[in-house]
This record gives sequence, C-alpha cells and structure tokens, in this order.
Amino acid sequence: MAHVASLLALLLLLVDGCALFAQSLPQRYRDAGEIRWGADAEGGAPFVFVDPNNPRGGEVGFEVDLATELGRVLGVRFRRAQVPYESLVQVLDRGDCDIVLNGFEATPARQALVRLSRPYYVFQQQLSVGAKSTDVRSLDDLVGKRVGVLGQSQSHQLLLERPGIEIVVYESNVTAYEDVVNGRNAASLADVPIARALRPMFPQLRDVGEPFGAYHYCLGIRRSEPELQRALDAAIGALLADGSLERIYRRWSLWTDAQRQLGDPAVANAYVDTAGSASPAGSGAFDWGMAMALLGEGALRTFGISVVSFALAVLLGMAVALWRLHGPRPLRWLAVVYVELLRGTPILVQMLLLYYGLGSIEWLQLGAVEAGVLGLALNYAAYEAEIYRGALLAIPRGQREAAMTLGFTTAQMLRHVVVPQALRLSLAPSTNDFIALFKDSSIVMVITVVELTKQYQMLANQSGRFIVLGLVTSGLYLAMSLPLAFLARRWERAMERDHA
Amino acid sequence: MISLRAVTKRFGERTLFGGFDLDLAPGKTTVLMGRSGSGKSTLLRLLNQLERHDAGTLRCGELEIPAGLPHGEWQRRTLQLRRRTAMVFQSYQLFPHLSVLDNVTLAPRVVRGAERSAIEAKARELLAQVGMAAAAERFPARLSGGEAQRVAIARALATDPEVLLLDEPTSALDPNSTADVVAVIADLKRRGMTLAMVTHDPDLGRSLADQLVELPRLRG
Repeated sequence: MAHVASLLALLLLLVDGCALFAQSLPQRYRDAGEIRWGADAEGGAPFVFVDPNNPRGGEVGFEVDLATELGRVLGVRFRRAQVPYESLVQVLDRGDCDIVLNGFEATPARQALVRLSRPYYVFQQQLSVGAKSTDVRSLDDLVGKRVGVLGQSQSHQLLLERPGIEIVVYESNVTAYEDVVNGRNAASLADVPIARALRPMFPQLRDVGEPFGAYHYCLGIRRSEPELQRALDAAIGALLADGSLERIYRRWSLWTDAQRQLGDPAVANAYVDTAGSASPAGSGAFDWGMAMALLGEGALRTFGISVVSFALAVLLGMAVALWRLHGPRPLRWLAVVYVELLRGTPILVQMLLLYYGLGSIEWLQLGAVEAGVLGLALNYAAYEAEIYRGALLAIPRGQREAAMTLGFTTAQMLRHVVVPQALRLSLAPSTNDFIALFKDSSIVMVITVVELTKQYQMLANQSGRFIVLGLVTSGLYLAMSLPLAFLARRWERAMERDHA
Repeated sequence: MISLRAVTKRFGERTLFGGFDLDLAPGKTTVLMGRSGSGKSTLLRLLNQLERHDAGTLRCGELEIPAGLPHGEWQRRTLQLRRRTAMVFQSYQLFPHLSVLDNVTLAPRVVRGAERSAIEAKARELLAQVGMAAAAERFPARLSGGEAQRVAIARALATDPEVLLLDEPTSALDPNSTADVVAVIADLKRRGMTLAMVTHDPDLGRSLADQLVELPRLRG
C-alpha cells in the first residue's frame, strides 16, 4: 500500500509540476491565482527589503524567497502588499491582504487575534549594549534601566514580563539601536535575525550573552479561514521536508541548529489548537480598568505636552513677530527665515532631526519628552508668529502715534499699547491653533513618547478592541479641546462687541 | 517755547513749505489754518517730530533738533521733545483695551514710573476738569465722540506738557460735542497753557487765537 502511495505521489509530481498542494487551497485563491502577503518593507533586512547596494534589484529577503517557494508548491502567485508592521493584524482582518508573512512572532496577544500557521523559523533573542557598557550581562541586569524594543514584538513581550525595566517602544529596530549608540538607552533586545542583519550598520554596539529562548515566526491567517491555514501548514511542511527551507536559510546565513525543531511535532502543531478559537484567549482577561488607567495616563501626558509646548510657542511666536516688524535688519531676516523654514518643512522631519539628529551630539542630546515639547513649540511658534504679525499690523498707526507723543519709547509703546491689543485680536485664531496642537501632539510618538494616541494604538493592537478604545480616546481628546473651542467662541463674540 | 527756523518739508519732489519760521509763545494760543492739503497738520506734526523736517532747525528751550541728525541721536532728542509736549488727535486715539482712568494714568506710570495710587488722584482731578469724572471706569468703546475727545485731552495733560498740540480736535464731532470740547480748550487757554491748534473752522480759530498762522495754498 505504502508503495502505491509514494508511487502516486511521484506520479503527481511529474504530472502536476510542482503545485503539489494546489487542490488543498480554498477555491477563491485558486480562482484569483494569487495570495497577497502582507509585510512591511521598512522593517528591513533580512525579511523583505530593497538592497541599498542594488536598488534596482527590487525587493529581496529570505521571506521573499519563502513566498516564492510557497507559491510554487501551492500553484499560485504570491504578491506582496505593503502593510505597516504595527498594523499587520488589522489590515489582515480588513481583508487588504490574505496572510501575514513578516517575521510575525507567535506572541500570546497575536494568538488571540489570528490563526497562526506551523512555525517556519525558530528564532532567539539577542541583547545588545553600547561598546563602553560594562554592567549589563543579561536581562537580569536591566532593572531600572531604559531598554529599547520594537513595538508589538516578541522582545517587547519578553520585557513586559520582567518588572522594573523601563521599556522604550520604537517603530523600527534601527532607531532602537540608534538610541543605544547615542547613550539614551542602556540596551536593546531584538530577534537574532534582525540583530545579525543590522550589525554592520552599528559597529559601536556589542552583543552580550548568548542568544536565548526559542520563539517562532509563523504566517498569520484570518480566523475564519481554517482551510487556508491547513493548506499553508502543508506547504510549509513540504518545504521543510524537501530541504527548501534549509536552502533559503543557509543562503541568508540564518540557518541555526534550532531550525531542526521545526520538524518536531510539538513545534509543528504548537498553534493548531489555539488559533481560530472564536473567543480569543485574551478576551475574557482584557483588563478594562488597566486600559482606562493607561489611556488616562496618556491623556495627561498629551495635555502636559500640549500646554507646555503651546506656552513656549506663544512666547517665541510673539518674539519672532516683533523681531520681524521692529527688530534690526539681521533679526528681521532671521525671523522671516525662521517662519518660512518651520512652516515649509514637515513637522515629522523636524521632530526626527531634533531627536535623532541632535541625539548624535552628546551635549545637545534631549530626552524624548523634552525634544517632543521643543519640536512642537518651535513648529507652532512659526504659525503663531504669523498670527501675531497680522494682529500687530492690524493695530492702527494712530495708536502707535498716540503712544509716541506721550513720550513712550518704542519698547514701551509695544509693551503697553500695541501688544496687548494685538494679543486680544489673536486670541481666537491662536486658540484654534491650540486645539489643533492637542491633536498634532501625537506626532511625538515617532520619538518614542507614549501619549494618548500611541497608548490607544498599543492597547488596540494588543486587544483588537479598536472601536471601544477608539471612542474612549476620542472622548478624551474632545474633553480637552471642547472647553477651548467654547472659550475661543466667547472671546470672538466679546471682540465683536468691543469693536461694534 | 517751541520754534521752527527756516524749516523745509518735502514729500518726494513736492515742497510742502520751504524756509518756514514759527514761534509758539509761552502761555499763548497759536492757531494754524489753511485749506486741506495746505500742510497745516504736517506743520503741527513737525512740532513733535511725528514728521521729520528736511532742512532747518527745531528748538524747544535748550533742546535743538536740526535736520539730518543720525537716527539714534534724533530718536534720543525726539523722546525728550515728546516728553515736554503732548498731542490731541482728530480721531481721539484712546487706548481701547484700557479704562478711561487707565488711559489717563498710563503715560505717567510708564514714562515717569509714577505709583498708580499717586497718579490716580491727579487723573481723577483732570477728568473732573474736562467734565468726565463720572466716566473713569468706563471703556472707550462706550464713549461718545465728544466724551472721548475730552478724555484724550485729560490723557495729554496728565504728562504735564509744556505745550499741548491739538490736531483738528473738533472736526469729527457734532455741534453739541464741539461746544463741550471748545469749552475745555478755552478753559486751558485761560489757565495759561501754551497751545498750538490746527483747525479748518475759521470762527473757532479766530475766537481762540492769540497768533493766527494762515498757510497758503500748496505751491505746485
């Protein structure tokens, strides 16, 4: 009997070329002739990336090769869809890609949200520190220290399980390493494949301890598609059996002895049962109290950052407007350049320059919150300056003359007559800017500050509760901006009354 | 008190007046009259340097402001000149963000550093003098034109000027308000204040003037 079966398999192989498992694939994928795999090319080497030394070569990476091989055995084309790493699960659920294939670690949070295929790679964790660091030898030495990790990653999960470590969450491993090099953080924890791939970029870093743990990269599949999961499991099994996986991993220097565990039934079946359970494992356990506390904390931080940066923006904006109108010539030019430069470039770039650009110069290094506040203040000051300039110009010349004929110096005239009136005129437009700042302040998340929007993103990504958490978050923003909007309207009406 | 010697004022190619002499006698009222465009307001504004002259010299006691001073020096001397004079404008120019009382006390506080309490009594006196004592706490937007102009006069007097310059002080006012303001000006004249006033109202001009200066029609 066994002979007949293997003979049949051999026959099939000959007849059907390579598409061994095409029949097991759900009909809709066979009809479409393709499977869209979601991945973030910004995540970089070695997963899927554009080789900087060969930018015309298109996307490469061990997962590009893996996708090609999976396509071969399943008899469909694998087409990549660009999806931000932190949104992989949501985009999969929305149906904008069919599977996730992107160093997708089998964290408990994800096990609750999606089906996971059998693991196709076993990875370990690597701790890295600055070249001069001597006091960190393992995770145990990190208590009380700042440690950078990629958000939503296995490394993140690992640190969360160890109290006392100050976790700084990044959207990219590159910036996480950057902040170890410039001394902001004591260490960074990352998956070994990432650590190896990025090592040439960061010769100043040193790996400490041996790689540890054994974790799995799996494909992510929608909960509603068990057939697709079975087909992909079979395809991975086939690639493991015929040596294709080993070939790919050796080509990318990713082969380790740990990969032999992939054939172990315990590993192969690790996620068969948990995945796809209608009620996700974390669902009953989702701690609403904790979530609300975290959102409240985020809201407080957003409020603090916004208030402080707007206060600075008002002061600096007024100074810039006065320089532009009344300063000596060089200062006037400087004011013009300042306004045009800050208005004409994206705040995102300004923020990254301020934090990572200046971060490489030791005595100019700012903490994340300080850099965030300063970045917002500098940017908004340019807009405030234009509001104030308009308001200053709107004060009639006769007012200035009246002050001058009373014997005021220019400074006294500005201080007692012109600026107070200009401030009143700019109160309403300025308040509108303040409201905008509350929402724009979420930009500071790009430099690792966890404020309200970022906190929402993290909680929603972990739990999948986008709607309820989103409503709560929106409510918190409204609670901050509505009173201001109310004030702005009252001031506007008062102004109309005064000038009637 | 203030004198102009051989003063010339040009606007681009046009000469508004050339080689002009003027003396404001202490305690006397000088009225500048002329058609619109004759430069009578410009002449008044030369007296406190809201307009700069292109030739000639302005004197105020020992203070001398010749034409063509470097900016910094001109600024320094002009500040002194302005601290000895005060001006009342056709359009009042009260500070809208301040109450009537604060309008009057602001300059003494800012320029001379006077204490608010000390200057307040005097400010109320001045407001009483112009018939506006009851309006001390009101804001300029709530005043009629005549009331605003009387407050403006009180504001000017609060700096203890040696000369008060009045630029068409009644031109924006209705007849009743004009009468109120003229009464205040006449009262100042009686008290021996040195006044210089621009007006296009011949009756008003002749009734107040000790010295009447008629500016000729602008030369082409």
